This record gives sequence, structure tokens and C-alpha cells, in this order.
Amino acid sequence: MPHISLPAGLPGIRALFAFRPETAKALCELAEVLLHAPGTLSPAERELIATYVSSQNDCLYCQTAHGAIAASHLGGDEQLVLDVKRDFSHADISDKLKALLAIAGKVQLGGRNVQPEDVQHARQHGATDQEIHDTVLIAAAFCMYNRYVDGLATWAPPDPAAYRQRAGKVAREGYLGIPGDVQSTQAGR
Amino acid sequence: MFSPLRLAGDMKVDPMFLPEVEGDPPPSPVADLIRVAQAGGNEYPKIWHLFAYRPEATGHLSGFTQEIMRGDCPLSPGIRELIAAFTSYGNDCPF
Repeated sequence: MPHISLPAGLPGIRALFAFRPETAKALCELAEVLLHAPGTLSPAERELIATYVSSQNDCLYCQTAHGAIAASHLGGDEQLVLDVKRDFSHADISDKLKALLAIAGKVQLGGRNVQPEDVQHARQHGATDQEIHDTVLIAAAFCMYNRYVDGLATWAPPDPAAYRQRAGKVAREGYLGIPGDVQSTQAGR
Repeated sequence: MFSPLRLAGDMKVDPMFLPEVEGDPPPSPVADLIRVAQAGGNEYPKIWHLFAYRPEATGHLSGFTQEIMRGDCPLSPGIRELIAAFTSYGNDCPF
């Protein structure tokens, strides 16, 4: 039961986007640049960082939604997403992504936990300044999204199938269409 | 907790983790601000470098901040800044 009166039937952050379209636009544009727009880290890698941070923040909606988007980018490999959430150090991912996830995990605990040796370690595995920068920004942004979603007690659908369906569309088309989608879903009710 | 005096010293001497972020930023109003501050030998908040480094991402952050801090809302801008300052204090972020 959400803490404020939100449009019914829209899950998680989508209900908040419908409630406050003025802030939805900027939040979706930021998600597009961080997770979907072309970059040297693949969309799957960036979605895994977002999923991992959301799981560390215990945000059910965000970790399930972005985990499903990551899996969609990975050809449906939901097991790899689970492995990253449970113990990324033993997951079947590159050492560079492991080093970036370690930095993201420290940002989740609080930005000042990141130490020069964490940055050095990521560089040794080939991470560029921009990749390290974007990892920190993804982790910081998802701490915000996670607190936004749970601070207002939004509804998270219990059925993973509901997330898979939307995930395929976001993986293909990105985030810019979401504010329009939630407005038309609302208008259709 | 921090003291404002120590904060000023830290901002002057501590290099950032990512030298590229402090390097030559693409043209933007924030990049101009940094150049003016540096040319005058003035101190400035390092978050300016973050905003100058990746304007395609941080432009959206500025837009978001403008909307929640100054957009149409029954809470006055002063109250909203107090909420932001209180949260930053709770997060131990001096800036």
C-alpha cells in the first residue's frame, strides 16, 4: 500500500512517473544515458551494476525490473543475474566488471568508502576514467531511485513474468518512451 | 562530523580519483565557470568538474534538481533546501 495516493495498476517507479511527470522526464533521460545509450560498457554490464546496487539496497521492484532488463540483454540468462546478485566475485563475468561492481558496492554503502586502491584495481583490469565515473554515477543514481521507490512504498508485482514483458521493450527501445507509456496507461483506465 | 575549516583545506589540496574528470572538459557553462575560477586563483566546489565532465548525463541531473528544488510545489524553496541540507548532513557530505 503506497504511502501517498498513486495511480492504481502502475508498478514501482512507473506510478511515481505518472504522479509527477515533471521529474519523470529528467529521471528517464538520466537512465537512458547511464544504462542504454551507446557506451564502452555494454547495456548488459550497466544493467547488472544497477541490479546489484538495487539488490544491496533491498529494493525488490528495481532489482527485479533491472535484473529482467539485464537478462534480456544477455539473451535471457537469468542465472547470471542471480549469480551477480548473490556473489559477483564468483560469477561468470569479466574481472573488469567485478572491479567496477566492487566500487559500486562501496558507493552503495556510502561514497566515502571508495578508496584509491579500488580505483587502481579497476584501472589494472582495463577500466577507463569514464567507465569508473559512470559506474559511480549509476550506483549513486540507483541509491536515489531505490529510496524514491521504497520511500513511498510503491507496489512491486510479485510475478516475475510481469517484469520480463516490460524488460524486453526497455532493452530494445530504452527509457525515453516510459513517461509517455505511463501517461497513456493511465489515460486508458 | 566535519568542521567547515577543514573542508576548505580539503577542497584545495585533495586531487580527485579520476584525473580525466579534472582534465579538459567539453564546452559548457560549467566549464566556463571552472576556467574563470581557476584563472582568478579562486576556490570552487569540485562537483563542478563532475557536471562539466559528462554534460549529456549531468544536464539531466541539473534539470531534475531545478524541478524538485524550484519547480511548482507547496513547499517553499527554503524548506526544500533545508531538506536537502539535512539529508546531506545525514550522509556526511560536507558540500
